[in-house]
Amino acid sequence: MLGYRCSTTLGSPTPPGVPKRLRRGIVAQLFVLVMLGATLAPANVVAAPSPISVITPGHLVWGGDQEGGGPYVYPAEDDPSRVIGFEVELADKLAAYVGLRAAFFQGQWDKMPELLRTRKCDIVLNGYEWVPARLEMMEASIPYYVYGLQLLVRAEGDIRSWVDLEHDGPSGKRRVGVLGGSAAEKYVAGRLGGRVDIASYDGSTDAMREVETNKLDATVQDAPAAIFYRSRFPGLRAVEGPVGRGYYVVYARKGDTALVHALNEALSQLIERGELETLYRAYGIWDDAQRELYDIARAGKFYGYRAPAVEARTADGAESATRSVALGARKHGLDVLVAYGPILIQSAGLTLLLSCLSFPLAVMGGLLIALGRLYGPRWLRGALAMYVEFLRGTPVMLQLYFIFFFLPEIGIAVPAFSTAILGLSINYSAYESEIYRAGLMAVPRGQMEAALALGMSRMLALRRIIVPQAMRIVVPPVVNDFIALFKDTSVCSVVTLVELTKRFSVLSQSTQSTAELMLLTAVLYLLMSYPLSLLSRRLEIGLAPVAA
Amino acid sequence: MIDIRGLYKRHGSLDILRDLSFSVEQGEVAAIIGPSGGGKSTLLRCINGLERFERGQIRVGDDILTADASAKTRSRLLGSIRKRVGFVFQQFNLFPHLDAIGNVIEAPVHVLGKSREAAIFEAEQLLGKVGLSDKLRSFSHELSGGQQQRVAIARALAMQPDVLLLDEPTSALDPLMASEVMSVIADLARGGQTMIVVTHQLCLVKAVASTVHVFAEGRRAEHGPTQAVFANPQHETTRAFLRKLSEG
Repeated sequence: MLGYRCSTTLGSPTPPGVPKRLRRGIVAQLFVLVMLGATLAPANVVAAPSPISVITPGHLVWGGDQEGGGPYVYPAEDDPSRVIGFEVELADKLAAYVGLRAAFFQGQWDKMPELLRTRKCDIVLNGYEWVPARLEMMEASIPYYVYGLQLLVRAEGDIRSWVDLEHDGPSGKRRVGVLGGSAAEKYVAGRLGGRVDIASYDGSTDAMREVETNKLDATVQDAPAAIFYRSRFPGLRAVEGPVGRGYYVVYARKGDTALVHALNEALSQLIERGELETLYRAYGIWDDAQRELYDIARAGKFYGYRAPAVEARTADGAESATRSVALGARKHGLDVLVAYGPILIQSAGLTLLLSCLSFPLAVMGGLLIALGRLYGPRWLRGALAMYVEFLRGTPVMLQLYFIFFFLPEIGIAVPAFSTAILGLSINYSAYESEIYRAGLMAVPRGQMEAALALGMSRMLALRRIIVPQAMRIVVPPVVNDFIALFKDTSVCSVVTLVELTKRFSVLSQSTQSTAELMLLTAVLYLLMSYPLSLLSRRLEIGLAPVAA
Repeated sequence: MIDIRGLYKRHGSLDILRDLSFSVEQGEVAAIIGPSGGGKSTLLRCINGLERFERGQIRVGDDILTADASAKTRSRLLGSIRKRVGFVFQQFNLFPHLDAIGNVIEAPVHVLGKSREAAIFEAEQLLGKVGLSDKLRSFSHELSGGQQQRVAIARALAMQPDVLLLDEPTSALDPLMASEVMSVIADLARGGQTMIVVTHQLCLVKAVASTVHVFAEGRRAEHGPTQAVFANPQHETTRAFLRKLSEG
């Protein structure tokens, strides 16, 4: 998966299973990074010969977040490095129709519009609802799914209807869990706002588990997720039918009308030919509400919401499908290790790579900043002090976000991997500089005087006498920061990198084997950071003590 | 060799040096004595630019450093002066991350551009000369104070300085270690090394100094050949000071 990630971050997504590309991808990125100034490569704008313009010739790059889970896009159980789901299959069909190959692009779900706008992907196809406000920024296709929202509660609980939710339970207001930023959140806020406590989650199944373990009273989920994960949460019960009808559509960049027309044509065809129905039946998510798709396909247009012709029912008792895609049993214990260990280790590799590349840069940067602040001209001291305060005072996530999503606005596109390295090293350079400043100041004044008295220039004295001594003083805090950086790499998921923590969340959302995965992830982090602690201790002992 | 005229040095509202003049000829060993706060160490530190002064001039060989020299001129002059003027500190200031040899070869290799091999060869000679042939690879924390100060002297000598400035070289040492260092300085004096020694130790003055300069309150109260000054001190400060030192 690492290779896949890295190549996608280059802006040239490739299907998984191309290990050679992985190396070349990383080497290329490193090269790009080393060439200072060249870090900011020009935006990858390539016009395809066809009227449909895509960012990578021959590929339709579609954005989604596998953390959202099944049945949309989720890691395959037999090979977690591969994504499956009805949207994966739909993307393949759509891409084939317009003569392209579908390439999945992993990004954070709530960042999809930005990823689209900054040309990281061609379309967003990930349970994104048709919302009038979004049409101002993106082009929407006709719907590919008519969804409802399903209320789920504990099977043996006392909630039997939506109305029951409005009445306080034994411990006050009912707590309802929803996917943050989703239509369900808006719906619940609109219908029950004030009368219930709403808790938002990053994935659907977290909230389902919380209901099962009694921490939440209920959760409202898009019907496909509720249906798909039914078998994993036997303690849950669906209450009433789906409510709050909405439409999943494909979004494209504003102005990409040729692409949207082609997608509409493809969708109409898939609907008319019954291919979509077959696909949805396979995932168990076909219901009567989907019949509206036929009307839309015949019209070839979509005007927005209308009153439901048929009251929606759940897919329970739907006709048997020729093919069935369902979840296997939840894995436990060693099975989890065997099934997901390798991919977690791969993601740990990315974590390791990010840390090991960005930290040396941070240390070098920090040293230069500290020297500039202590020995540089007055104007430089002021500027560097501001630089340090600014970087320490703002979250690293915001800085990554700025590099990845804002710089492209002014024509500077930085690939995800380089963004991560750049962002982490710049952020950490501020912290390292403060450590070095303390270290440099701890070297007795007589050392500089002795060096100057021997005829050394200030520069030479710093390089040969002061810095080597400061280094020894700062080893423990610097190693400590390195360990902290290891864990901070997890914020890189905002710039679409799937490092260890993001991988954990993706797998946990889709497999529910959370306890085992958590343990594995923790062990991997420990395996990476503990040797550093040992190294630090050895360095402390090994280095000659600094006597005054 | 060194000629200082009308030197003024102020620290805050305190006048440390007041119109001080002073000179040393080649081969001369000048001892500066006098009560603490008389400006002795400050004078040494002004000569090699570790401290600035407000008025006057310092000539070392052909280089003339004035109080109002531009930053560029000052740094050029100091570069030239420091290569020819060695400095030995009261607190030794050995480089703790380098061993004895490393301390001694640092400047010859990185300032003079000597080859490492040549510098090491010379360093071994110098460390032998100060009696530390068996401590070539020792770090400062493995050496006694007296040994550290002898390494520091070898380090200064490695630059083959025209003049060696010693700022209270034995004050941080107990009597036994001080005498080790004194005998090294006496050897240097016999070898014709030009030196200025700031000290409180009368025996060191008597053993090595050809001239004595008594500083008091930022001025030179009295100076002359060592025996003449000690036999017949003219100034009251000198008499009081000598009395006090011989009692202590």
